[in-house]
Amino acid sequence: MAKITRRTFVGVMAASTTALSMPSIAFGALPRVVVIGGGAGGATAAKYIAKDSKGAVDVTLVEASKRYYTCFFSNLYLGDFRNYGSIGHNYYGLAVNHGVNMVHEWASSVNSAEKKVYLGSGATVSYDKLVISPGIDLKFNSVNGYSPEAQSIMPHAWKSGTQVQLLKNQVKGMKKGGTFVMVPPPNPYRCPPGPYERISMIAHQFKKTNPTAKIVVLDPKNKFSKQGLFMEGWQKHYPGMIEWISADTHGGIKKINTSTMEFETDLDTFKADAASVIPAQQAGRIAMNAGVNKGDWCPIVPASMQSQADENIYVLGDASIAKSMPKSGFSANSQAKVAANHIRGSLTGSKVFAPRFANTCWSLVATNDGIKVGANYDAKPDKINKTSGFISKTGEDSNLRKATYEESIGWYSGITSDMFS
Amino acid sequence: MKSKFVFFSIIILLLFSNKILADDKALAGADFEYGQHLSGECVTCHNSTGLGQGIPKITGMKTAVFIKKILAYKTKEKDNAVMQMVADRLGEVEINSLALYLSKTK
Ligand SMILES: Cc1cc2nc3c(=O)[nH]c(=O)nc-3n(C[C@H](O)[C@H](O)[C@H](O)COP(=O)(O)OP(=O)(O)OC[C@H]3O[C@@H](n4cnc5c(N)ncnc54)[C@H](O)[C@@H]3O)c2cc1C
Repeated sequence: MAKITRRTFVGVMAASTTALSMPSIAFGALPRVVVIGGGAGGATAAKYIAKDSKGAVDVTLVEASKRYYTCFFSNLYLGDFRNYGSIGHNYYGLAVNHGVNMVHEWASSVNSAEKKVYLGSGATVSYDKLVISPGIDLKFNSVNGYSPEAQSIMPHAWKSGTQVQLLKNQVKGMKKGGTFVMVPPPNPYRCPPGPYERISMIAHQFKKTNPTAKIVVLDPKNKFSKQGLFMEGWQKHYPGMIEWISADTHGGIKKINTSTMEFETDLDTFKADAASVIPAQQAGRIAMNAGVNKGDWCPIVPASMQSQADENIYVLGDASIAKSMPKSGFSANSQAKVAANHIRGSLTGSKVFAPRFANTCWSLVATNDGIKVGANYDAKPDKINKTSGFISKTGEDSNLRKATYEESIGWYSGITSDMFS
Repeated sequence: MKSKFVFFSIIILLLFSNKILADDKALAGADFEYGQHLSGECVTCHNSTGLGQGIPKITGMKTAVFIKKILAYKTKEKDNAVMQMVADRLGEVEINSLALYLSKTK
């Protein structure tokens, strides 16, 4: 017979209390969920766990900012279809309506062995289950010559907030007839159609105020999301303004120079009057710190969104490898509901339903010209599997495009209310 | 006077029981909790506070109305790529559960 050490004894105790009831309950406290990141994935997860458990689970949301500016619709702000205030949201609803404990601090590290999150202030929060939805971090050095300092000259604006305001000022202030250079990111990145919606909205802005301006797109890819639809729209609404150059054509961006505003490629050296550079991306740093990444992103169990490295940690949204789902706010929101249902089930014994995932991404090409792409997914053991999908068609009727745009406004109001109220 | 009252009562009862029968039949397999869970998928777009623009409110919708609409998307009789895709993977139990849950929400 094995010798019973103190350690195995504690282990056996914990196992037997689990069989009777939940471990935290056994010690007289509510089970604790900590969520890191109050964006599309994290805010939704915190809300649904708190709302549906009706007080049976203690939920703490650790989010660095007091106001969340959505990346979604930040392009519409660039095109003057939204004002800045309308894309900012606060967390009062989560606290007041659902009893989520809000902690506005930076989570600096995770000790997964002790199930603790360390905060910037030095305080710690313990968890039974941890949700990590930190979004992305940028790999500045993926573009030779780009850096954290360069982001104030050639904003990426791929995290919302002041970067987007800066970009808008640069677009509006660009000299008449000048050239705007845009470098989209390589795959995989957050919001596949996002860079091309951004190009559309900058073109829309130029058409109004700077009609002889040019936009040069130096893409590190040879094709992109909704390409046919965007290309058709650019030709229709902004003829001659946008030049999209594929990786094979320019041969790669060798170097960018933020003082001369030059972009060196095999094809040519392009000089910009204003620019946006979106570098390659990786999961938010805290995911790496928690040790749930494999390279740049975090592998998950498709049926639950649990990390493959730690069953007590769930990774949502952009940080996860949720293929075949794209990295989008809609996807993150959908994944959060699957995770919330699973977490609640494992902590309180509530019913766990079969996972269902969905995504739709709307993009605006010009006034009343909306397009969309979407799909349903289910969970296979090795991946989140696409079961059906649709995409807008080229040459669609203008009434349908207008209805698609209006639908996107409804979606924005729906998802932000789903996340925050 | 009294007979009139009885007459109306009978009519009302008949209407009422018809409705119950119709609902019972239509809502085979409906489960409130499942409906609530599934509705998570709806409220990403259909504003749960009912204030949405461009996308109609679905909370508080009568079961028969909801079922009719969903079936129209399922058979592609009603146009909308997103809704056709949503309806496509909803089976009878899912539709009835959603109908039950949504009809009970404000
Ligand atoms: C220009 C643009 C347009 C887009 N348009 C769309 C669209 O139309 N539709 C769509 O569905 N998606 C769109 N997206 C994508 C969408 O914004 C993201 O996919 C989505 O936000 C991902 O959600 P998330 O929860 O993974 O991360 P986020 O929403 O980025 O949330 C992460 C949060 O975590 C916080 N955080 C990170 N680390 C820590 C830490 N250590 N401690 C405390 N807090 C931390 C951050 O402050 C942030 O609030 C767009 C993106 C861009 C850039």
